[in-house]
Amino acid sequence: MAQRAVWLISHEPGTPLRGTVRFSRRYPTVEKRARVFNGASYVPIPEDGPFLKALLFELRLLDDDKDFVESRDSCSRINKTSIYGLLVGGEELWPVVAFLKNDMIYACVPLVEQTLSPHPPLISVSGVSQGFELLFGIQDFLYSGQKNDNELNTKLSQLPDLLLQACPFGTVLDANLQNSLDNTNFVSVTRPQKQPAWKPGTYKGKPQVSISITEKVKSMQYDKQGVADTWQVVGTVTCKCDLEGIMPNVTISLSLPTNGSPLQDILVHPCVTSLDSAILTSSSIDAMDDSAFSGPYKFPFTPPLESFNLCYYTSQVPVPPILGFYQMKEEEVQLRITVNLKLHESVKNNFEFCEAHIPFFNRGPITHLEYKTSFGQLEVFREKSLLIWIIGQKFPKSMEISLSGTVTFGAKRHEKQPFDPICVGETAYLKLHFRILDYTLTGCYADQHSVQVFASGKPKISAYRKLISSDYYIWNSKAPAPVTYGSLLL
Amino acid sequence: MGPLSRDVWAQRLGAFRASPSAFMAGPEAEDLGRDLLSDLRSEKLSEQTKVSLLALSLEYPAQLWPDASAAEVAATSLLDTLVLLPPRPSALRRPLLLAATTALAVGGALGPTSGASCRLLPLLLGLAAGSDLGRGFVPASEQRPLQATACECLRELESCKPGLLGGSLGLLRGLLGQEGPVQPLSLLLSLALRNTLVLQSRAGAGLGALLTARVSPTGGGPWDWTLVEEGDGRLQPQAPSWPAAEAGEGARSLTAREHSPEEARELRAAVAQLLDTSYLLTPVAQAQLLWLLGWALRGLQGQPPALFKPQLVRLLGTAQLALLHAVLALKAAFGEALFTAQDETLLLRRLTLAAQHPALPPSTHLFYLHCLLSFPENCPLGPEGEEAAPLLLGPQLCRGLLPSLLHEPMALLARLHLLCLLCAEDEEEEEKGQLPSPGHYLEELLAGLWQRAALEGGPRALATLCFQASYLVARCLAGQPTVLTPLIHGLAQLYRARPMLAPHFVDLLDQVDPELREPLKVVLRQEVVSRPGRDEALCWHLQMLARVADGDAQSATLNFLRAVAAHCTSWDLQQGLLQVCRALLRAGVGGGLVDLLQVLARQLEDPDGRDHARLYYILLAHLAGPKLGVALGPSLATPALASSLVAENQGFVAALMVQEAPALIRLSMGSHVVKGPLPVLQLLPEALEPIYSLELRFHVEGQLYAPLEAVHVPCLCPGRPARPLLLPLQPRRPAPAQLDVHALYTTSTGLTCHVHLPPLFVNFADLFLPFPQPPEGTGLGFFEELWDSCLPEGAESRVWCPLGPQGLEGLVSRHLEPFVVMAQPPTSYYVAIHLPPDSKLLLRLEAALADGVPVALRTDDWAVLPLVGDYLRGLAAAV
Repeated sequence: MAQRAVWLISHEPGTPLRGTVRFSRRYPTVEKRARVFNGASYVPIPEDGPFLKALLFELRLLDDDKDFVESRDSCSRINKTSIYGLLVGGEELWPVVAFLKNDMIYACVPLVEQTLSPHPPLISVSGVSQGFELLFGIQDFLYSGQKNDNELNTKLSQLPDLLLQACPFGTVLDANLQNSLDNTNFVSVTRPQKQPAWKPGTYKGKPQVSISITEKVKSMQYDKQGVADTWQVVGTVTCKCDLEGIMPNVTISLSLPTNGSPLQDILVHPCVTSLDSAILTSSSIDAMDDSAFSGPYKFPFTPPLESFNLCYYTSQVPVPPILGFYQMKEEEVQLRITVNLKLHESVKNNFEFCEAHIPFFNRGPITHLEYKTSFGQLEVFREKSLLIWIIGQKFPKSMEISLSGTVTFGAKRHEKQPFDPICVGETAYLKLHFRILDYTLTGCYADQHSVQVFASGKPKISAYRKLISSDYYIWNSKAPAPVTYGSLLL
Repeated sequence: MGPLSRDVWAQRLGAFRASPSAFMAGPEAEDLGRDLLSDLRSEKLSEQTKVSLLALSLEYPAQLWPDASAAEVAATSLLDTLVLLPPRPSALRRPLLLAATTALAVGGALGPTSGASCRLLPLLLGLAAGSDLGRGFVPASEQRPLQATACECLRELESCKPGLLGGSLGLLRGLLGQEGPVQPLSLLLSLALRNTLVLQSRAGAGLGALLTARVSPTGGGPWDWTLVEEGDGRLQPQAPSWPAAEAGEGARSLTAREHSPEEARELRAAVAQLLDTSYLLTPVAQAQLLWLLGWALRGLQGQPPALFKPQLVRLLGTAQLALLHAVLALKAAFGEALFTAQDETLLLRRLTLAAQHPALPPSTHLFYLHCLLSFPENCPLGPEGEEAAPLLLGPQLCRGLLPSLLHEPMALLARLHLLCLLCAEDEEEEEKGQLPSPGHYLEELLAGLWQRAALEGGPRALATLCFQASYLVARCLAGQPTVLTPLIHGLAQLYRARPMLAPHFVDLLDQVDPELREPLKVVLRQEVVSRPGRDEALCWHLQMLARVADGDAQSATLNFLRAVAAHCTSWDLQQGLLQVCRALLRAGVGGGLVDLLQVLARQLEDPDGRDHARLYYILLAHLAGPKLGVALGPSLATPALASSLVAENQGFVAALMVQEAPALIRLSMGSHVVKGPLPVLQLLPEALEPIYSLELRFHVEGQLYAPLEAVHVPCLCPGRPARPLLLPLQPRRPAPAQLDVHALYTTSTGLTCHVHLPPLFVNFADLFLPFPQPPEGTGLGFFEELWDSCLPEGAESRVWCPLGPQGLEGLVSRHLEPFVVMAQPPTSYYVAIHLPPDSKLLLRLEAALADGVPVALRTDDWAVLPLVGDYLRGLAAAV
């Protein structure tokens, strides 16, 4: 369950080493156990320098892939998880849990309490999930509310002390590093018994509960025979409960209007104390039918101090909010494009913003453009080979808008123009970006009156909703497009 | 030396951290540990600097205090520093406790005889119990955090010395029930409980007493060094990997001591207590608790796994990786006893949705996908340890988990693996539902991958991904022609589009099974040889051809080579061309290749290339096929020095030269052959490995015999009895000799080896030959004639020959039978021996006594007298 070492490495393309170890921590008592457990297959934790080099090589971040290198490019070296074997000094260090996020590489080596040859299955190594949790925790701590490099550096400098709290001997005590930080701040408070370990102190002040529901909608539209368009809503319910008392109990109910789309694939925060079996079993894996549970979805919980994600869900709404088609044809030296977008009548026609990005890959810069739109303005980014159609706050009354035109490109200059391995030839997409406030596509809302709080004082309850587009693609219907297995189900 | 300043320390710590090994090799290494300990008490350094010193000692105690005695001294010093802290809040108490614990545990000093251990352990237990340690030792504000820290330290010590806290179970339980901090105490208690359960099955200590006894922490005696010793100080896996656990721990559960009903009840109560408050723990700590308790209770009688049931629904609802993983561990530990078929289905569905839930990060998806394919099923079917789709995971459940071109490489490969497993099942079942055929989908996906890898200027990662996918498909679906045919076709097309991927193709050919390799080779060869002439990709074509050229389609390959030879103007192209020739040589292609090599040896511009071609030509002309194959086989020599010829030579050297080798054969002497005109040794060869063309060469020391002929054996195999080898000797003098033996043979890998075997000894008796048998009845006369002829040139002697229990008759029949000319058993024997080249030895053995027989002897060669004496005296001993 323990970790032998943890690293934080910033990925710095273009520098000689391509990266810097920003933080590392070794756990010698765990290392001592590893030596015994692993026996002849024991490989010691390397120093930072060799580790950095081996990890960057394994993650293909050394950007020197001009030549075929067997130890990296061989077809039989297949990695299907973020857990690697690193070649260090001719021996394989395994398992190394590592992932790259925001140019930062998070890595750790969990203890395996047996011989490493052959490798035991990862599922049976308890330290793997513990390692992931620690790394996710560090990531959340570094990037929550972080705005600039200075803040990042401040947080990095706090890490040694925080890890001394959260993981003093290599066994993670709390992956939420913010708690450890608060722990040091709450140090003078003598805590009464039965204080949850995930709640370092108690709140003092005006009671209030804030609930915000954010739905993201993604879609793949093809406008093609034999290929189905797909779309999905992913919801996140975030709460911040400022309530007095050690263990205040709260129950939040999410409701749907009569024609709302049932919530599925619900994952809850560990502070939720019990769960209705209907919530547990409603899943997008099953074919939908009318008997699907449609709420209200009750979540009883004891809130932590900080803002947290009470639950995630997905939903299959009957129609995509914006249905469109995109046609692109190569005509001698130019491309002819036609775009048509239609907002569904049930959707709130009041956007914070709405744009369609039309990129052209593997071509030169845009040299000439002729176009006609029924609505909105078109911005041209010639060097980036990109068109942005700014639709604005509202669709017109007809709910339908169109754009057509011809685009001409200059000669391709390799480095600058965007490369894309998928959008080759006439394969192309446009991507929609929009946001609607105080609206959810499923209709899901948190009824303020249904929020039950068992704590002293009547809290002020506020609720927010918004819908955001995410990965909302409309593919050129005149060319092949990458499909998912789901799109073939008609 | 006075205390170092903050800046000096910062610089020193920085230098150490940059490379501990380099620092420790430097001049400052020796003092570092000592300075650190002394400066912790310096009043000039700030607390923050001291914390950073302690942080270093937490990470590198083995470097600072490398042996047990140094660790003991360090821990003592750290504890002294702790005691000397003024009674006000300080940031040093926690790290000092951690550092003392680390130093003792890592340095191997922890034990009942260690003074520091005997100070630290009661201190920790006192702190953990929240006792008043007096003299304002712990300021009130630090009480709580130090209590938690002490628990952590104890847990680490218990991890390193399992069983240590066996005597404190009751105390810890009591603390957990009262005011103690829930998480540290829960984790400590569950670990101590687990270790006690494992060790106690060997030690036989009473669990019930341990769980209820309240030992006073200051009274001394909560330390169970006996339990530690029972465990041989062996570490206990806290969460054993389950295949290993199942194999290894099955024995444990069988031999586990049965608990009395009271003990079982007490244990159940303790576990229930831990589980009931587990929601107060952080998710990672909850997961640790479940792993520990799950594996501790597995297989214990009277401990129903249903204790865990109330936790499961809550856990199944979360997205937390550690928690779901812990549930899977419980599943593996208890199987059907905790998870009914419906529960299993639900768990599988939760796992399936977690593996694709858009709200979770990609690395979590990948781990869940791995868990799906290694899912601990109630009723597993396939072979253990191999990834497979669980039985309940049909295509319907999987459809959201299938790959698409839009996925990241790792996700694509993981999902592709699942798709391949589905295709394999689809093939078996031939069940066509409403779902699109996975096989068809796979084909389209591969086509997309090939297309992407074929893109001019695309990154290598895309090509690698494409070949990894092809390899995965080939491995999972090797037996399916409906998959392999399009695979081969698609790869050939990819090569046509982008020959620069040749190294990937060569690698793929090296990795896949013959089902794909052989047909793919044929197609790729055709792809190359059908395009003779000047081509930008010529170097790739040559590289490819060097891998795929073999005995088939020789003329097309040779035509291609002849056609491109003229374009091979640069050194590397010529080398490429010669590599293909080499491959053809290995494959045993003769005819046309001779001509080509001759042409190349004349025409190539580069002298190295010409030399090379000439070398190949000479090899082809002079070596037999199999030897050539071995000579040109893959060489382990380090490649490319100044000239490729030199590099390649290193390969030949092994194959064409004789190797000194360890002896793979043994040679022993068989029984003596007494026939014919010459003495003949019988040799029994024995091989440890199959060897071929064995030649044994013999050399006689001192030229006592004429030079010996070599002996040849075509083949020797271990375990198969070989025919004895006959080695005729031509003595120049009748004397024993030592034969020096050398063996030369070929191994099954084609190497020729030379080995010097231990010498063989030719004894005096090995040279004995009988005289022609005289006609019946004339024996005595014949003997007398020989007897008389010995003198006067020869010598006469009498020797006492001791007799063993077998008596005279036994001795003669055993040793001298072939040479007896006249006998009156059992009293009188006349023996005539011919000693080559032309000596004789005559013996009369008569009038034996109980313990010996006097032997009268004559010989015409006085030089043999001492040998005869030794021989006769030794007979009784020689059985």
